Amino acid sequence: MTDAGWQSPEFARRLAKRHAAERRFKWLGFSAIALSLAFLALLLFIMLRNGLGGIDWQFLSGSDSTSANVAGVWGATKGSLLTMLVTLLLSFPMGVLAAVYLEEFAPKNRRWVEWVEVSINNLAAVPSIIFGLLGLAVFINTLGFPRSSPLVGGLTLALMTMPVIVISGRNAIKAVPPSIRDAALAIGASKVQTVFHHVLPLALPGILTGTIIGMARALGETAPLLMIGMRAFVATPPGGITDPSSVLPMQIFLWSDEIDKAFVQNTSAAIIVLLVFLLAMNGLAIYLRNKFEVRW
Amino acid sequence: MIFTAVLLAVFGLGLVGWFAARARARLLYTGRGSMHSMPGYHGWHMALWIVAPALLAWGVWSAIMPGLVESAVLADPAAAQLPPDAMNRAAILADANAIASNPDAVAFNPLSNALAEPMRAAQQRFGLIGSLLVVIAALAGGGYGFTKLRAGFPARTQVERAVLGLLLTASLMAILTTFGIVASLVFEAGLFFRDVSPIAFLTGTHWAPGNAAGADLDENFGAVPLFWGTIYIGAVIAMLVAIPLGLMSAIYLTQYASGRIRKILKPILEILAGIPTVVYGYFAALTVAPIIRDFAGSMGMANPSTESALAAGLVMGVMIIPFVSSMADDALAAVPRAMSDGSLALGATKSETIKKVLLPAALPGIVAGVMLAISRAIGETMIVVMAAGAAARLSVNPFDSMTTVTYQIVQLLTGDQEFNSPKTLSAFALGLVLFIVTLILNIIALRVVKRFREAYD
Repeated sequence: MTDAGWQSPEFARRLAKRHAAERRFKWLGFSAIALSLAFLALLLFIMLRNGLGGIDWQFLSGSDSTSANVAGVWGATKGSLLTMLVTLLLSFPMGVLAAVYLEEFAPKNRRWVEWVEVSINNLAAVPSIIFGLLGLAVFINTLGFPRSSPLVGGLTLALMTMPVIVISGRNAIKAVPPSIRDAALAIGASKVQTVFHHVLPLALPGILTGTIIGMARALGETAPLLMIGMRAFVATPPGGITDPSSVLPMQIFLWSDEIDKAFVQNTSAAIIVLLVFLLAMNGLAIYLRNKFEVRW
Repeated sequence: MIFTAVLLAVFGLGLVGWFAARARARLLYTGRGSMHSMPGYHGWHMALWIVAPALLAWGVWSAIMPGLVESAVLADPAAAQLPPDAMNRAAILADANAIASNPDAVAFNPLSNALAEPMRAAQQRFGLIGSLLVVIAALAGGGYGFTKLRAGFPARTQVERAVLGLLLTASLMAILTTFGIVASLVFEAGLFFRDVSPIAFLTGTHWAPGNAAGADLDENFGAVPLFWGTIYIGAVIAMLVAIPLGLMSAIYLTQYASGRIRKILKPILEILAGIPTVVYGYFAALTVAPIIRDFAGSMGMANPSTESALAAGLVMGVMIIPFVSSMADDALAAVPRAMSDGSLALGATKSETIKKVLLPAALPGIVAGVMLAISRAIGETMIVVMAAGAAARLSVNPFDSMTTVTYQIVQLLTGDQEFNSPKTLSAFALGLVLFIVTLILNIIALRVVKRFREAYD
């Protein structure tokens, strides 16, 4: 080959074509992500445009009502807070203790330990409505707990949140280097002391981050609560965890069903309130992670 | 309630026991210089012996007390007028119970009012007995714990054993939950399949639980249109949106974007996954569905409905994008660097490398990710409840209103509640099918991911 093939016009044409394909592909990737983000922006824009005008003190302090201009979100917000309290009090200790056991104490290569791990991984992927069916069948029909109460809602969401906390807790505990354990054991601490005095405090920021993310997911969850009847019209904020109550996402769902057009503003405003809560929780999680994360 | 007070008292006793035992252990410690356990552990040992038996007694008593109260009330002369059939009887007793705890409650039957007084008396009597039992258990346990308090007593080992028991119980909760799900679904679905044959349920094409009655149950519980709607919305339309967008986003973020841009764009993309589904549902119903209806109208369709499979599927697809993207991200990252380096060294452009080397090598991981995404999409509830509609029909027209398994579960269980009718029980049968399908998808996907990782490690 005397004539350099790579200088022939035919080669140049082919190269240009390949480079054009390269640019096209890159542009395709960019437009995919831009399209997704544009959808997000559109969603937020429409909610803000419809709802921002509806947020005032009356709206934030009122409870549900049949007339759109006196209806507010405080009743639902209080219901959400009570429900989240029950969820947190149950799922956090349970999740952390289970994570500690599986990571630090569980015997290796035992059949039943494997079952626990498999069922935790599967529970994390079970559709949320199934947990609602469980709550309905067990807590309401079998145990006779009061319908549409934050107690039952919190229990159901706790079962759903626990696997999330266990998984993030195990990762956080795994990230603590073995040298910490060895040091504690070497100066005479027992295994339990090592874990509770040294490993757990070091893993706590990671566990908390996972917990907050799990709680944020539970806060936005509607389907399981629909199953246990938390869709009642509740005109007064609940006084305790056994009173009938609504929660924020359920309030959004109920208002979105109203035929009266005036409720569009209420629904969007409630969505803004819910998103602000979620944003605050996720922000806190990111802050915790950045502040306390240790790179060993 | 008297029980709340008793529980508080038990915990108070536990606290007192903790301090007392620790103080005593400290006294033992002085002048001796060595003991098996630190004084604090003696405190915990004592507190455990006070609280644990008391809680056990409390649990047992709360389980048997309603039965005792009921038999006491039935022994009352007023109870002789109770109707013989169990259903009415239970309703009147429940009413009496409500009045006993809250005098303002309204009774539907005058008999409830008459029974309320004996009910309250019985509750008070047995409540008092129960509280006494709980306190006795606490004191007995505490007394036993106190006799153990000696210098050589291995309190720490005992306490640690209790802690391990607690940890074990917590981790068994996961199995218990799984078992609870399976048992409740199978049990209720079993009741349903007593009335309706499973074959008719799984292969019938007519779904109308509303007018199911008497002998034609089998004909009205054909769930195939529901399965079709679920698959069409969740596995076809949503995936047509989510797979290209999610995959291309992942490729752009991992292969083309600079580190800084990736750091900004990725969390923003993740926001899509954090938005509650009820918000997506509202957005689909408020904004997307009317646009699609108008579009269908302009395409020449006669009265297009506001609720369409396309609106629900489209929004659901967007919701799944970050999930597909992060799964694809993992799969691409698992492909060894040497493979793409080899391709680049031979003169292939970046996009050729991605298309011909990276994607084929990452394919198992991507497929597994898509399966997980499908299992998520078919279990999604709020979007379809708010945007997909109630009409159970077999259609391939995306502008038609279609219904899904999750939509029907919500419909069947939020109407009027008559619990043991085939209509409500069918929701559990649908739930069982949904659970089994998502479980299979998850198990296969996790297997594939695991094997795929091992292949390249």
